[in-house]
Amino acid sequence: MDYHPLPQPDQIETRIKEDAMGAYFMMFATAAMGLPLPILNLVAAIIYYYVNRDKGKFVQFHTLQSLYSQIPVTLLNSGLVVWTIVNFVRDLDFTGFYWGYLVMVATANLVYFIFSIVGAVRARKGFFYYFLFFGKLAYHQVYRIRPERDQSTLKNRPPGP
Amino acid sequence: MQRTILRDLLVLLGVFGLIWLVFSLFSYPEDPQLLSIHKEEKLGEVYVDLILLNPMFEEFENRQVSSAVKVIGDRLEEGLEDSEYNYRFVVFNSPMINAFTVPGGNILISTGLIGFCDSPEELAAVIAHEMGHVEERHVVSRLLKELGIEILTSGDQYVIGEVSGLLTSTSFDRKQEAAADLFAAKLLESTSIEPRTLATFFRKLEEEMDNELMQHFEIISTHPNFRSRIREALSFKSAKDFKADPIDLDWELIRAEL
Repeated sequence: MDYHPLPQPDQIETRIKEDAMGAYFMMFATAAMGLPLPILNLVAAIIYYYVNRDKGKFVQFHTLQSLYSQIPVTLLNSGLVVWTIVNFVRDLDFTGFYWGYLVMVATANLVYFIFSIVGAVRARKGFFYYFLFFGKLAYHQVYRIRPERDQSTLKNRPPGP
Repeated sequence: MQRTILRDLLVLLGVFGLIWLVFSLFSYPEDPQLLSIHKEEKLGEVYVDLILLNPMFEEFENRQVSSAVKVIGDRLEEGLEDSEYNYRFVVFNSPMINAFTVPGGNILISTGLIGFCDSPEELAAVIAHEMGHVEERHVVSRLLKELGIEILTSGDQYVIGEVSGLLTSTSFDRKQEAAADLFAAKLLESTSIEPRTLATFFRKLEEEMDNELMQHFEIISTHPNFRSRIREALSFKSAKDFKADPIDLDWELIRAEL
């Protein structure tokens, strides 16, 4: 499978680098909003992706990586909120599995937070930074050469034989 | 590329799954299984001896009262064929309306409580409730949660003294009280004692809620939700062929001994 060549930092405009960095900082802006309802974070990330995806593959890669990595974190956080509410409402025990899940969710959030900061700094400098799994997935999605789609977007074509 | 993406996904799932599993196993310090019943009974003996040394819990030595409590206890034990505990009932001399459970199947009952009960069935209901805490191992869970297995089994005299003090004022959470109530209702029914006696006793307690003599009674530790417990106890459905068989004791004579 072939991939488009990657741009080097000096080939990327500062404005594009800032937009790519913005994908990671989105979560800070929505963190307070997302605390009671974690799904709001995800909605904001999806909107950011659709607004910025036409700004080139570099921005697209970073927004998609941020969005993909946010999906499992959001689902885990939502699971924790639901589990906690159900336990309180139905007066159930906070079992070992609950506390284990809580630690796991906290770890996932911490890892996501650290990786997002590093990702944002690297994006601002015009570098690629690959998260485990999500980085490769986003790269594959954005930089894979898809002849049908890439051809169809070309308005100017060479003359026929 | 797709293969490495899949490999990364498996690594992520494995790492986080392992974190969940490991912390689930290590974050449950109150599991009563950590302390065997044999060890619990040994600890219980020491605690009871220490508690009885306290002048506030001085043993009430009266043959008639002790044998009456034993009659009630024996009747209830008939309904506990599978129990691993050897129950011991101790009456202590105190005007406080109080009864509590000490690890190892030891149930301590105050003379104040015996005087407060209008019938042997009411006392049986309280004892059945305490037996519920014993069988469900609530005391052990509570101690393990508050102190941890290392401290609890350390054998340190100072710790043992502190634990004995804790036991006389242990309170349980709503769920544990509800479980002990249900256990008591079933046990009373299986030993031909009217299970709704528990509701009668709770109602009496509710009327006396401001009585200072009751302030250490664990049975009322869920005070704000007492009404729902009365409702639960009243709504207990006995088997159709249930027939109450009163406990054969001259209760007024027993109370006169106090």
